[in-house]
Formats: sequence, C-alpha cells, structure tokens
Amino acid sequence: MTESPETKAADDEVCRRVKNGLKPERNGSAKSLYPRPCHERPPKNRCHTAEEEVRPGMGRVGWVCEAGESIHSVDSSRLYSRPFIEYFEETPMMVAVLTYMGYGILTIFGYLRDFLRHWKIERCHIAREKEEQKDFVPLYQDFENFYTRNLYMRIRDNWNRPICSVPGAKMDLMERATYDYNWTFEYTGRVVQDVINLGSYNYLGFAENTGPCADSAAEVTMKYGVGVASTRQEIGNLDRHEEMEKQVARFLGVESAMAFGMGFATNSMNIPALVGKGCLILSDELNHASLVLGARLSGSTIRVFKHNNMQSLEKLLREAIVHGQPRTHRPWKKILIVVEGIYRYLSLALCSRKSFPLLKFPLFSFLVSAAIICGQCPSAVYATSMSPPVVEQIITSMKCIMGEDGTTIGNERVQQLAENTVYFRKRLREMGFIIYGNNDSPVVPLMLYMPAKIGAFGREMLKRNIGVVVVGFPATPIIESRARFCISAGHSKNMLDQALNVISEVGDLLQLKYSRHRLQPSSARPFDDDVYEDIDD
Amino acid sequence: MALGECWKQLSWFYYQYLLVTALYMLEPWERTVFNSLLISVAGMAIYTGYVFMPQHIMAILHYFEVIQ
Repeated sequence: MTESPETKAADDEVCRRVKNGLKPERNGSAKSLYPRPCHERPPKNRCHTAEEEVRPGMGRVGWVCEAGESIHSVDSSRLYSRPFIEYFEETPMMVAVLTYMGYGILTIFGYLRDFLRHWKIERCHIAREKEEQKDFVPLYQDFENFYTRNLYMRIRDNWNRPICSVPGAKMDLMERATYDYNWTFEYTGRVVQDVINLGSYNYLGFAENTGPCADSAAEVTMKYGVGVASTRQEIGNLDRHEEMEKQVARFLGVESAMAFGMGFATNSMNIPALVGKGCLILSDELNHASLVLGARLSGSTIRVFKHNNMQSLEKLLREAIVHGQPRTHRPWKKILIVVEGIYRYLSLALCSRKSFPLLKFPLFSFLVSAAIICGQCPSAVYATSMSPPVVEQIITSMKCIMGEDGTTIGNERVQQLAENTVYFRKRLREMGFIIYGNNDSPVVPLMLYMPAKIGAFGREMLKRNIGVVVVGFPATPIIESRARFCISAGHSKNMLDQALNVISEVGDLLQLKYSRHRLQPSSARPFDDDVYEDIDD
Repeated sequence: MALGECWKQLSWFYYQYLLVTALYMLEPWERTVFNSLLISVAGMAIYTGYVFMPQHIMAILHYFEVIQ
C-alpha cells in the first residue's frame, strides 16, 4: 500500500507495534475501492497516523509515522518522526472547589447588585431601553448579560488596552485610570513605554514598521490607495489579489487558492458553500465556534471525532463509507474533514493532514492573515476585498518565509521561533506552572483557574511592564481560565528571560504554581533542528 | 522589626484570602458586607462552642463510661 521507499522503512520499524492490528492486506482491499492513486498530489500534503498510548497522569504520547494503516498515504520526502507530546494536567481538586466557591460568591453579589439596580437604590450604568420603547420586542437580554455586568466589568481594565506603537515584540501603552470601577476610563496622559508584548499573534515577528514588508506596503499604498470599497466580484479585484492567491497556492502546494480576510464569517459562510444536504462533515471535537456554526448551517450530517485521534477519525470514516447515508444507504455526496492547524485557546497542533480521494478541498487554518479555501462563497460576493497594503504585506512576508526574496531571513525566523518556544515552555514547566498543550506550539496557556487571579495576574504583569492576555469564561470552560502567551520570533532571549523572571515573581505572589509534576531543571541541551522541519519547503 | 515582618506576613495572607474568595474583584463596601457576615457567623459558632462544650464533653465521657 505504501509505495515509496522512505515510507516502507518507517513501516517496518514502527508499524509492527500497530495497536489496532491492521495488516497491509486490509489496506490493499481498501485501496481497491479507490483505485485512483494520490501520488499525483504535490508533496506538501502529508499523511500521518498518530498511534497513542496513555501514560497515567501526564498526558498522551503519540508516535507519528508514515503508516500502513491509513486508507492511503501520500509519499513525502520527509518523515515527521518527532514525538508528539501533549499535556493536559488535571486540575487539582482543592483548586477546583475553591474556584467554584469564588464564582458562587461573585454570583451572589451579582444578584445583590442587580437587585439594587432594579430598585433604583444604585445608579445603573449599562445600556437600557427608553421608557417609550417598552412595548416593543426587547433589545437587550437582561439575564444573558448577567455575566458581563457583574463579572466581566469588574476586571475589564485587562482587555482592550489602547496601544500607541506597532504591536511588535515591545510596544507602548496609553495609561488609563478609572474612578467608577471600570464603567468609564480616562487617560492620564502618560504613555507606558517598552512593554514586552506577549499577547500579539506575531509568531514570525513580521509586525514591525521598518524592513522590506513595511517598505513594499508603503509603496503599494501610494499606488493603489488604502482600500477598494467594493467586493471582489464587482470592481474590487486587484492584480495584487491575484498575485497573492498565486503565492498562497505555491506556498501550500495546491493548484489554486482563494483568500479572504480572516474572521468568523470566513469559516461559517464558506463551509455551507462547499457541502450541503447529503454530505458528511467529520469535525474535530475541539473546533472553533465558527467552524461548528458553519457545519450546522450547511445542513449536512455532522459526526464528531476525538481530538487529534486518528483511530477515531478512521473508524468514523470507515463506517460512513460502508454504511452510507443514514436511512437510504446511498453513498455520501461529499465527505469533508474539518480540523484546525493551530488551536488558539488550547495551543495544540495538528497531528495529521490526511487527504482522501473523496475530499475535494482541504480546509486549512493559517499563521498569516488569510484563510484559504477553494470554491464559490458568499464572502466574495458581499464582503469588501482586502485592502492593498495588507495584501502586499502578505505577499512580501510569504516570499520571505519561502525564501523567494533571496535571503535566509524566513528560515532564521522560523528557527528562532522554534527555539524560543521550546525554551519558554521548558522554563515555565520547571518553575511549576501548569501549562497546557503541545510542546512545540508557540501559544502557551498558563492555568490560573480562580476568577480573582485572572484580574490580578493581568494587572500585576502590567505593573511590571509586561503585557499579557488573560482569558476567562465564555472562551474557555468555566473553571479553566488561563493566561495565554504568544511567543514571537521577534523576542530576544533577554526579553524572554526578563519575562520569565517576572512571571515567576508574580506566580509566587499569587500562588499559581499548582503543578504536582515538577520537572528537574536540566542544562540547556543542544537545540535540534527538526522542530519545524516541515514548515520550510 | 519583628512586628513589621509579622504585619507583612498577615498582609500577604489577607491578599491570598481576597484572591481565593474572589473578594479581590468586589468593591470595598461589598468586602465589608461579606467580611461582617463571615465574622458574625464564625463568632456565633465559637460562642456556641464555648457555651456548650463542657456539657458535650461530659456527655461523651458518660457514654464511654469513664465517668458515672
């Protein structure tokens, strides 16, 4: 089944340990159903299967191999043989109980304040309808905003902080003060300078206002202006858009690509354009709300597989192909597998990209500012097209990453990001914090759990000149609130060390070092080159 | 100097108490309300214990036939 010599070697060593007992002959029979080989696919699509074994207490360790048990595999010139480790340490029982108690106390006080506001004992600052409009359908749902009014407002100064510089590795913030407990803010006039930025999605460090990207974007602004004020279908399609799409297609190794501004609407509006009734969507259990909404809107049957679990996906897929549609047993018109490249709130990484002959258009999520999909979609008809400087920034940064501009800057940045990530995660884990997610992911969630610590962490870090993003309830499960650090290639080792010292200090002050599996501090091991080896091509 | 150290330590414990019970997020008057409720309930429990403890101890010793 696996034809190429490189994959054969992997098969012999690793796949003898195959747990689910699939033998190559079975794959031969599966292959006969889909006689068209997929070796004509360009080499960027790789095919892996993760074999997982559960180690008690710690997490899952998976070995990724070019497997014989997949339905088919694509030959690739590189073996991704790095162990795939994801940690999800359990919440300590005492911490969970205290967190629920904290939320309980806040809820009781929330009811008390709502009572006072209702009986006009206290002035109400929130948006309300006018008296004259009472007979219409209500605009504001009072109960649903309970959480916003009573919990979010109290620590609102940790979010939406105005900045006055480019959000690179360091940034400047406007200082704000509030005299009515975060209902309104005033500027003191001072600027907090050189705050280390651990919150922007600036992974490769391209958020800067000097350098080739900025220069080319400035040129294009002079030539094309700032925006087109039209949709792609009418007069908003510039030659820069066409070039960007060709560039993206080259980067991904597909025949062609279409790009939109990243956003909720991209995912939720484009999935219904691809699949409809009579189609099947297999979606990862931890997919983002936009993907879930898009899947539901499309009207197809949805089946959920366990996160990053290839056995679960294969089982579902086999059942779907063998049994067909639920009552009529007719074959599915299309099967779409929906996963995410990087799961932002959980910092996990995709462990597999499978391409099947049934799957027409793979869905990707991407590190730069575009989401790519092929086909017709509402966004091209109704949404304005991307503005020319943004498009130019994408083109220049992609050329840099691919090495087409003739320098090795792109490759260096990727290596720097990998180094930074591994170092940062290792040090945090050694200090005793609970860190979730894949060891190679540049998004580092540090668990806080208790609601008061969300606000306290954000404020204490800002006092010490570091800007972080803290995340709480609607975006995460209620007791699993966290601080999310985004490491960038633009952070130097000094900055990371400074940040780590401050995090340790604040961690001691707030008692955040919950982990019961403390790693021994190891000496700096030589950095190995295969962390992101499938990024460059 | 020892008093300064003691004060700092107490201050740190009070901060931890504020964080764990989420009083850190509440306004000062809400903290006063909660603290008064907590202290009055704890005070009543201690007073009841003080008043009834001798009787309870006698009853236990009587049950285990240590005293007649």
